[in-house]
Amino acid sequence: MGWAWLILLLATYPWLLGADLASDTLASSSLVFFISGTCLIAPCRRLKRWQAILFAACLGFLFEARRPIPDGALALSLVAASIFLSSNRQLLRNTPGMLWAAAIVNMGACLIWFVASLYVSPASSGDLIGHLLVQLLLAGVVGSVALVPIALTQNATLDRLSIPPAPDTP
Amino acid sequence: MDQNRQGARASYIALSIFVALWILVPSAVRRFNREAFVEFQAPALHLVGKSRDMATFWEKKSRSVEEMTAAGRDLARINAALEIKINALEDIRRENVRLREITRYNVPAEYMSVVARVATRDSSSWWQRIVIRKGRNDGIRPGAPVVFGNTVVGRVTAVHLTTSEVDLVTSPGFRCTAYLEGDDQNHIVLVNGVASNSLGTAKARVSVIPRDYSMPAGQPARVFTTGMGGVFPSRLVIGYLDGGTYATQVGSFKESLLIPSRDLYNLQEVSVLVPLHQNPGEALMQGDQFQ
Amino acid sequence: MKESSDTRVLPSTPVERLRLYGVFFFFFAGFVYVIGGLAFRQLIQSSDLKEQSDTQSRRVVLRPPARGRIYDRNGFPLVDNRARWSVKADLASLQKEFRGEYLRLVAAEKAREAVSIDREKLMEDARVRVLQGWLNKVWFVIDETNRNTTKGRKSPAKLTPVTAPAERQINIDELRKHLRERRALPFTLVNDLAFPGTGQALTADDGTKSVARFIEQFPVEGPIRLEQDIVRTYPYGAMAAHVLGYVKDTDALPDNVDDISEVRVESLQKLHYTGKTGAAGIELSYNYVLSGRSGWELWSKTSSGYNQTRLKFSEPAQGGNVMLSIDYRIQQAAESSLAKLKDPQGNLLPAAAVMIDVHTGEMLALASQPSFDPNRLADRVSSKYYDEIDKAGGWLNRATQGLYAPGSTFKVITATAGMRKKVVDWDDVLECGAFFKVGNRDYPEHEPVGFGDVNLDKMLAVSCNVWNYQVGLRTGIEALAAESRRFGLDAPLLQTVSDVETGGQAMTELPFAASRGLVVPDREYKLRIGAGAWNDGDTANLSIGQGYLLTTPLHMACVAASIARGETRTVPSIIHSVERNGRHQGSQPIGLNPNQLEALRGGMVRCVEEGTARVARIPGLPYAGKTGTAEYFKKGEKAHLAWMIGYAPAENPVVAFAVLVEGQVDTNTWGGKTAGPVVKEMLETWWPIAAKANQDEKPKAAR
Repeated sequence: MGWAWLILLLATYPWLLGADLASDTLASSSLVFFISGTCLIAPCRRLKRWQAILFAACLGFLFEARRPIPDGALALSLVAASIFLSSNRQLLRNTPGMLWAAAIVNMGACLIWFVASLYVSPASSGDLIGHLLVQLLLAGVVGSVALVPIALTQNATLDRLSIPPAPDTP
Repeated sequence: MDQNRQGARASYIALSIFVALWILVPSAVRRFNREAFVEFQAPALHLVGKSRDMATFWEKKSRSVEEMTAAGRDLARINAALEIKINALEDIRRENVRLREITRYNVPAEYMSVVARVATRDSSSWWQRIVIRKGRNDGIRPGAPVVFGNTVVGRVTAVHLTTSEVDLVTSPGFRCTAYLEGDDQNHIVLVNGVASNSLGTAKARVSVIPRDYSMPAGQPARVFTTGMGGVFPSRLVIGYLDGGTYATQVGSFKESLLIPSRDLYNLQEVSVLVPLHQNPGEALMQGDQFQ
Repeated sequence: MKESSDTRVLPSTPVERLRLYGVFFFFFAGFVYVIGGLAFRQLIQSSDLKEQSDTQSRRVVLRPPARGRIYDRNGFPLVDNRARWSVKADLASLQKEFRGEYLRLVAAEKAREAVSIDREKLMEDARVRVLQGWLNKVWFVIDETNRNTTKGRKSPAKLTPVTAPAERQINIDELRKHLRERRALPFTLVNDLAFPGTGQALTADDGTKSVARFIEQFPVEGPIRLEQDIVRTYPYGAMAAHVLGYVKDTDALPDNVDDISEVRVESLQKLHYTGKTGAAGIELSYNYVLSGRSGWELWSKTSSGYNQTRLKFSEPAQGGNVMLSIDYRIQQAAESSLAKLKDPQGNLLPAAAVMIDVHTGEMLALASQPSFDPNRLADRVSSKYYDEIDKAGGWLNRATQGLYAPGSTFKVITATAGMRKKVVDWDDVLECGAFFKVGNRDYPEHEPVGFGDVNLDKMLAVSCNVWNYQVGLRTGIEALAAESRRFGLDAPLLQTVSDVETGGQAMTELPFAASRGLVVPDREYKLRIGAGAWNDGDTANLSIGQGYLLTTPLHMACVAASIARGETRTVPSIIHSVERNGRHQGSQPIGLNPNQLEALRGGMVRCVEEGTARVARIPGLPYAGKTGTAEYFKKGEKAHLAWMIGYAPAENPVVAFAVLVEGQVDTNTWGGKTAGPVVKEMLETWWPIAAKANQDEKPKAAR
């Protein structure tokens, strides 16, 4: 089904919005719940590659739209990740694999976002490394924790769209 | 497997070609793309704001009648007090106009005030913006100052159809001039957002403080807008000067941190002061926004 | 590996696994690189800098310190620093724009099918055009007159008219020089936002508006930066300009930077911002104190020579403050009353006024007219203004550098010399006619009928010339000259700045005070200048302060102060110090008996009460004065100098003063009449101040 990726995106969007709203509670510490990378895992197991790519691009652009970072920096990185994941689906074959992938992809994307926004407006001083490390750690943890509910939602949506399940579903 | 590999390779190649194209493509295309995704999200943001309002509404609704009566009574008192104040202010305003005419003081910029509800806060690595539920359709223009009561919230940086983004005082893109409380000579100082104090509350920096400035004793010194730059009206509170510990000497001046007023973190509603006449800065802003 | 594409299998062969790990490794390495790079820069590199011996990629940038303040004796700042906001373009981040513009120009040139393309020229054009574009934007924002014109859709770049004033255009020569010498530093677009270009504020509120407009309206991001530094400001404008002096640009910054190895490494390239150094007055003589310590920054640089990252820095330290003995209220009064003296064409008469503390020698006022506004010299000096000052003769500090014949004010010295040599006593009466014959020449009285019987008291009151001719001739040139020297008329007098405060360079407190030009004539002098042998006529001339004698207003004020104390010498100082004890180097008792001294002082008081200075009488404040009108030649024509010296009050003197006005050929200049009002105004200002100071003092003493 051609529009599966878009429907999947709509189904995923509440999670993204939810993460944004949840980040509000962390406002005083300048940390953000970053889950864009995590949202990529489940679709990459089941969608066709081109669909996964479109999904990843939109996911990235949605995040970028309201944040000052160079256009496309995150979106194109997520696309690259989606190509890699959808060509190496064997990595996502079991639950630990998915969790690892979620953590790594999410941290990688978070790092790219962080560096990209550093490029637009350099933070002049302060404990930048510490901030980055904590933010990455948070992205890793949140990425793998949030994977389960997000993947459940996404899988349920894909089931409704009668997309064939991935082989070796955990 | 091979086919899959080849497909992947083709995809990577396509991606690199796309990246190259993306860099070369006119910035208008990228801007359009960004706009599109913003507009895509706009309904959701409105929905969030609305549901927040709804939550408040139900929270209010659950209050007892007694509580409401008490609140109503308090409000009536406040109203009465304000009524008197308005009359007094009217007198002052007339006096002001008269004096301005005598001294031929040029009239400060005039504003159209647009009240807007806050939809969400956009948390970005080390600073935050807020999204408000008013946009181009409501006459909001980039660069317009955003205030809450007599407190400066920030400036509008991007305007979309029905939403706008506001850079808070603490965001790095924010810069304005200010007077310090307790400086009789009214030296202008520079306030700009730094927000680089990672993992902590975002703050702004006040620089170019004269070396002989000392804070009034016993209270945090307020930082006011000057009203000279043609963007902010005068005498709005930007925040408070962080106590002496941070006042460091930089070159021939002192520097200190600015603690934004506490309201900045739980804003529900703000007013956007859209200048009636476009100022030069706005014209420049429209020229090139984000690269 | 022949598998169908539908079935996904684990990588089972070593090659596959390797490839996969390769990808993982690639990601991991990237990750480590970014984190490691950041960590390295922040944590390790900064402590490691000292060991780096590679000086090629680094340079030191020296930043000038802020100069110290100069206060008046009551702590009012006479010279201060104000924040200057300048707009600079970061050339390194403009490289891309330069390149783009250059390519566009080259393309245009090719399209024109030009025979040869001067690429150097085009590159320069491109730079100028890009910078001009930004400068236009800056002006667009700060020029308030734009406000109403921009309602439409005018684009800022098109706003520059063809005949833009110079400050709105990029100065090509300056850009060339900058690229040659300081490529690494940002290029200045607008030097002083508050006073862009012509040294005049664009709007009211002394220009802060244009600063504020730039700050609030100009885009924060981008290659255009706002920098703040300190510029010298003289809040009272031209007041006491000759005392305070002014500052000029210097490339030699105070070389007392912090003691760190990077700065001291010889081979390290050093760049410096232009600093300021004293060029005249206290700014020059106390330059060492006021200068402060330079700051430095250690930068890494890019291969094309631009600054890249600031690795280490030390902030400059402000210079020390100097407290002058000037009281700005008296100074202001002196200058404003001098400013009333004008020739028929309305030009200011050159003049000087000095008021000193009788006991300490501290100068309360030191004014010289015409003057200049050091504010206009503090930044880029326009040669036009320089020439203006030059033409008016404004550079000369007439109070300390102007050499004049003291005229009748010298008579107090003639009288002292005569009494000390016992050729005349305080109560001797001399017959004084309308003229006095010396040799075969008549020396005239200034009163056509003469004064008849004149004693010392009356001589001083009416300024009788004939009395002085007689006494002068009886005293003789040797004794007259010796008396003048005793009063210090041949010495610079002015306190010198201590070695510690100049950094080892001897200098008087006010630089270039007259010393060599001072003339106390005697026989030897006249022979030396080849004017022949000394004769009695010369002595007669000297006795009324004419002839070869040349001195300064400051010297005459010191003479008055010395007489007030009954001593011979006063060492004046412009620096306020509580440690001054009223002892003056080289000073002796005046050598007159009480009656003589009493008569000398009484005659000066009478001069004010009923004599030549009565126009300057202040009811309720008796004081001593002596006027003088000396002849001098102005462009071959005779003109007059108006003098008045004295001290106040008559009993227990506190201040002494001297006023000199250079009359012009066509002005009616007369000692008491011209100089008297200036004295009066100074004393009237000083009196309440002194009374109040006294009052404040008394309760303290009572406690």
